[in-house]
Parts: sequence; structure tokens; C-alpha cells
Amino acid sequence: MIFRILNLLVIGVLVLAAAYVYRIKFDATVQAERLAKIRSEVRHERDTIAALRAEWGELDNPARIEALAKRHLQLKPTASTQFGSFDQLPEHPPQFLMPGVADPIGVMIENLEEPETVTGSVPAPDAASSAGEAAAPAAAAAADQ
Amino acid sequence: MTTTAQETAPLPAEPWRRRLLRGLLYGNNIDRAAKARARVGLAILVFAAVYCIIAARLVMFAVIPDSRVARHGPSGDAIATARPDILDRRGEVLATDVRVPSLYGEPRHIIDVDEAVELLTAQLPDLDASELRERLSSKRGFVWLKREITPKQQKDVYRMGLPGIGFLSENKRDYPNGAEVSHVIGHVNIDNQGIAGMEKWLDGHGLAALHMAGLATDRLQTPVELAVDLRVQHALRDELVSARTKFKALAAAGIVLDVRTGEVVAMVSEPDYDPNNPHQALDPTRINRLTTGVFEMGSTFKAFTLAMALDSGKVTLKSSFDARMPLRFGKFDIHDFHAQHRVLTVPEIFTYSSNIGAARAALAVGVEAHKAFLKKLGQLDRLRTELPESAEPIVPKRWGELNTITIAFGHGLSVAPLQAVMGVAALMNGGVLIPPTFLRRTEAEAAALGKQVIKPQTSEMMRYLMRLNVEKGTAEKADVRGYYIGGKTGTADKVINGHYSKTKVLTDFMAVMPADQPRFVLLIMIDDPQALPETHGFTTSGWNAVPVGGAVVSRIAPLLGIEPRLDLPPADQLILASIRESR
Repeated sequence: MIFRILNLLVIGVLVLAAAYVYRIKFDATVQAERLAKIRSEVRHERDTIAALRAEWGELDNPARIEALAKRHLQLKPTASTQFGSFDQLPEHPPQFLMPGVADPIGVMIENLEEPETVTGSVPAPDAASSAGEAAAPAAAAAADQ
Repeated sequence: MTTTAQETAPLPAEPWRRRLLRGLLYGNNIDRAAKARARVGLAILVFAAVYCIIAARLVMFAVIPDSRVARHGPSGDAIATARPDILDRRGEVLATDVRVPSLYGEPRHIIDVDEAVELLTAQLPDLDASELRERLSSKRGFVWLKREITPKQQKDVYRMGLPGIGFLSENKRDYPNGAEVSHVIGHVNIDNQGIAGMEKWLDGHGLAALHMAGLATDRLQTPVELAVDLRVQHALRDELVSARTKFKALAAAGIVLDVRTGEVVAMVSEPDYDPNNPHQALDPTRINRLTTGVFEMGSTFKAFTLAMALDSGKVTLKSSFDARMPLRFGKFDIHDFHAQHRVLTVPEIFTYSSNIGAARAALAVGVEAHKAFLKKLGQLDRLRTELPESAEPIVPKRWGELNTITIAFGHGLSVAPLQAVMGVAALMNGGVLIPPTFLRRTEAEAAALGKQVIKPQTSEMMRYLMRLNVEKGTAEKADVRGYYIGGKTGTADKVINGHYSKTKVLTDFMAVMPADQPRFVLLIMIDDPQALPETHGFTTSGWNAVPVGGAVVSRIAPLLGIEPRLDLPPADQLILASIRESR
């Protein structure tokens, strides 16, 4: 009796194990197919990249660029006399001020600046009022003429 | 025991025939029951083994197919012939693989040959109908119908749905720059095997073995970087092409060599060919003259002669040689082209390119020393580089005084121009002979390979002479402002039918830039230039190779990163003074 139960139990475990193995196997196949597909996609992409690189090489060929430049541009090859270096630049203008002392002219300009002065490029601080003030003399001037 | 008693008891009752049979089959005193048990055991063992094998095989089938599936994708790889890309020193593509479909047929699976031929020739008009029919009617399992078809043709043929016709994608080598770098990279045949230039070198270095093993299917191979700079190569080629048409020359060639590493930055031998169209390469006028041709280099060899004389210590820059009269040797007279009819100092011999002076300087050192010096500079042996093509120099079999006299001014010894450039680079870079290479090389690697052949002081004196020759000598037309070029011209009479021609010459110009801190050596060589009105009827180097050299330098120097310096003093003050100081 005990043997019969054990046998049934073992058969049940066997069926379960077989089902589990089948599932694993099936999943593995699916994964393998995915892998193969991705690999072939990668290969295809690589081939495309190679073809594009070859095409870029053809388009970037100096002979082609030179022909295009000759046809469309006014530029000429650089002569050796057209190069400059930093030591060929003129001397820095001499500094008369002692370090730490403020520039007197700069200070004067700063003091000169009055925020109230309205010029063509400096708008009045209050846009609404200044617009009215500016418009009135202009209208008056127009009326005089 | 009972059984034996039972068996033994009826024994005598057996008829004699059966007893004889039993004796023959089992032997007389054998226990048949034990025998039967052993047999059953053996049968169990055999069956167990068979089931084990079946089980093991099942496990194998479960494990192995995964990798197989992955390898045989739907890509339809034909032949494992992938090649690594070839790049220039800045990473521009010089050669790459492109996948192209090829059309094949399986004659056994073709149902109606006539229909297949008709449809295919309609779609691919350049297929020969009778040849196609013959191929498809054969008994073979696989025939190529057309290699390298376009994707559109592939689509059209695919739509026809012919049984037994298929496509395989193959690697095709593509050279996007056409003829620009042809002689350096070489080309491949239809099966993607390298047959010339660096392509062949690649095959010789393991790629052929990979192809044989069928492993070179993928693109994972690391690209090969060459020393060539495509921009410099183009500038050099462009100038040489226009020079060749201007002077109606047979050929024009040029090399730019890095004197510190021995890298060949540019090499052009015009006429060249398009590696995408390799049958042009069979034309013998399109050979690479710089490595496969040998030439008498003319007066540029005086650089070697004077370097030898100065290096020996027997001659100094202040020495002078008698050039008042032509040098008489046996029945030969050695003349000067720019004859001065006076005693010339060593710098004057160089700048006036005096044959007499060079010959006397060589004689002062001696025949054996001359030969040994040229041997040391690698001018007498075949120069081997990565390129499979190379030529042996033509050295006189018996080297007497007359040979030394003529070789002193560059006649009577034919060398490959690349070889001469290597020698001149050694004279310029402080006296280290570095074998030229077409691959990238660092200065440290070059220093390990290099061999000191002349003293550094001699090298400095040679640079002084080279610069002097551009300031006031035969190479004045190459003096591009700011690059401090030094150079030596050469004009060699060509040998036609065993005699020196009076009219046909080969001119060359060997330049170093800049002469005070040498970085590159440039060779310009023009084969059989014609006189033009603007050259005043001259065909010597100073009128053709030198101006071309100047034009090339002004174009390539900015590309090579040489900064123009416009306020340099003349060679007397800059180089000569530093020689005096170092003493």
C-alpha cells in the first residue's frame, strides 16, 4: 500500500518536473530567437554604418571639396605671410595709473551721468509719465510748423 | 548440486550425435545455466549503454542548438572575407567593407531553365543569355550568376520568385577616395584578398589565415591606421597632376617623410589608378615609381657625397677643390653644368652643383670608404617596407674609381627614390637612419629602430648647405617665405637603349623643411619634363621640380602644423653660427 502511494507521488513529481523543464526550454528558445534577431539587427546596423561611412568618405574627399570650393567660393589658399602670432601683435598701451588708484576720467564720466537725463538711447525711468512729457513737446513742435 | 546430479544422470542416455554437437558448441564440461546468466548480464549492459547514449544525445540536442541558431541567422553570409577598415592618420576612411548582394543559382532546384534565363536577362541586361543557360543547365549544386548587384536589381529579381535562384550578401571593398591613395593602400581581387599595397600586407599578417579558418565574418576587427595624411596626400597629388600636364612629363612622383619617425605622410606616383577599378593597375606605366622603380637620382646624390666627405673629417666647410678644368679619367671627361672654371669651396660645390668638385671630394675620401658609406646609408641594399612591392638598387658589379666619380654626382647607381629619401632624412635629422614605414610610429619607437650613421655636427652642416642652396643656389625658386626650406636639385640624363640621352632627363628636388629644425623631407621627381617658353628652354630641375616643390610646401606646411616664421636670418647666421657655438 505504502509503495503504491509512493509510486503515485513519484509519478506526480515527474509530471511536474517535465512540465517545468518544458517551460524553461520554451522560454530559452524564445530568448535565443530574440538574441538571434537582435544580433542580425546589430549586423544590419553595422553594415549600414559602414555604407554611410563609405559614402561620407566619398563626399568628404578633399578633391571633391576642392572642386566645390573653387566653383562656389572666392577663397584662395592661405599664403605663409597671412599667418600671425601673438608676439607679432603691437605692444599693450602703457599703463600710467598706479595700481589701486581709480581712473580719474572714468570717475568723471560716472559722476556726469544723471539718471534724469533723457536722450534718444536712454529712456526715462518712468515710462508712462515720460511718454506723456515727451509726446507733448513733440506735438507742440508739430503744431508750430 | 541436485541440478548437476540430474544433468549428469541422463548424460549417458543422450544420443552420440547430440553429444557431439553439444561438445562442439559449448565444450564438454561447461555449466550451461551459468553461461546463460552471463549472457543475460551482457545483454543488460549493452542495452543500458544504448539508452545512456540516447539520453546523452538528447541532452546534447537540448543544449547545442541555441548557438547554432544564433550563428545561422537570416543574413546569408557567403564567404568569410571581412577585412579591417584602413584609416589615415586623422581617422578618415581610406578603405572599408560594404555589403553587396550577389546572385546565385542552384541548377538542381530550377524547374524551367528557359523561363529563368528569359526573366533574368530581362532584369539584368548585362548577363550573357547563352552562358547563363549553360550554367543553369549544369549538374552542379551551386553556381554564381552575377557578383555584386544593386539593391534595386536584388528586389526586382526577388519579386520574380524564381525557384533555385537566391542571394548571398558579400563583402565588397570600397575605396571612397578613388585614386588619391592608390599606391599606398593597393587593392583587392573579387574574393576580397589583398593583391597589392597595404591590402596585401594585411593578408600577410594573419588576415589570410583568418579567412582560411572562416572566422573573418564580422566587423569586429580593429581598423588599421596608416601614417598617410589624406589632406597632404591630396595637396601633393593635385600639384603633381598639374605639373605633369604642364611639363608634358611621362610621370611625376612625390614623397613627404617625417624625419623624426620615418612615417611616410604622403606618397604619390602619378599616373596612378583607381583601386575601385583594379584592372587599371595592370598598365605598366601606372607602377609605383617610388618603390618599384630604380633611378639614377642625379645631383641630389651630391648631398651624400659631401656628407661623407665632411663626416670623414678629411674635408671641412672651408676646404676647396679645383674645378678649373674638366676632370679627366681615362677617356672620360667630367664637366660641370654651371661651370665656374675656378677653385670652389665645399658650399660652392653644393650650390653650383659642381660635378667636378663632388667627384674630387669623393676621391679624397676613397673608393672603399665611399662604398661603405653608401652601404651604411642603406643605398646599396633592397629597401623593404610594409609594401610588398620593392626593387633592388642597381649597383655596379666592379666598383672602381670611375664608379666612385660618377656615383659622387648621382650617375651609375640606381636606387628606389624612397630609399634616397630615407638617406637624405638621415642626413637632416641629426644623423639617424630610420627605416621608412607606412604605419603609425611614435618617436620613441623610431629611436629604438634608428641607427646613428653620421655625426650630429655633419648633419647640421648638411642642413646649412641645403638652406644655402635655396638662398643662393639652384633651388631659389622653392624659397617659400616663412618655411625656411632647404633643398638640393638633381637632373639625371635618362638612359635610352644603353646610352645616356642628351635630351631626355629625370629631374628631382629633395627638400627639407624647416632647415633649422627639420621635420619633413619632401621629394619631387619628374620623369622626362619638356622645355616650356617660361622655362627658357631649360629642362633642368631648377625650372620644373623646384617650383613644384615650392608650391607643394606652401600648401602642405599649414596642414602639417609648421608655423611660418617670417623674420629668420639667413643660413650663415642661423645654422652656421650654431655649429661654431657648439664647437
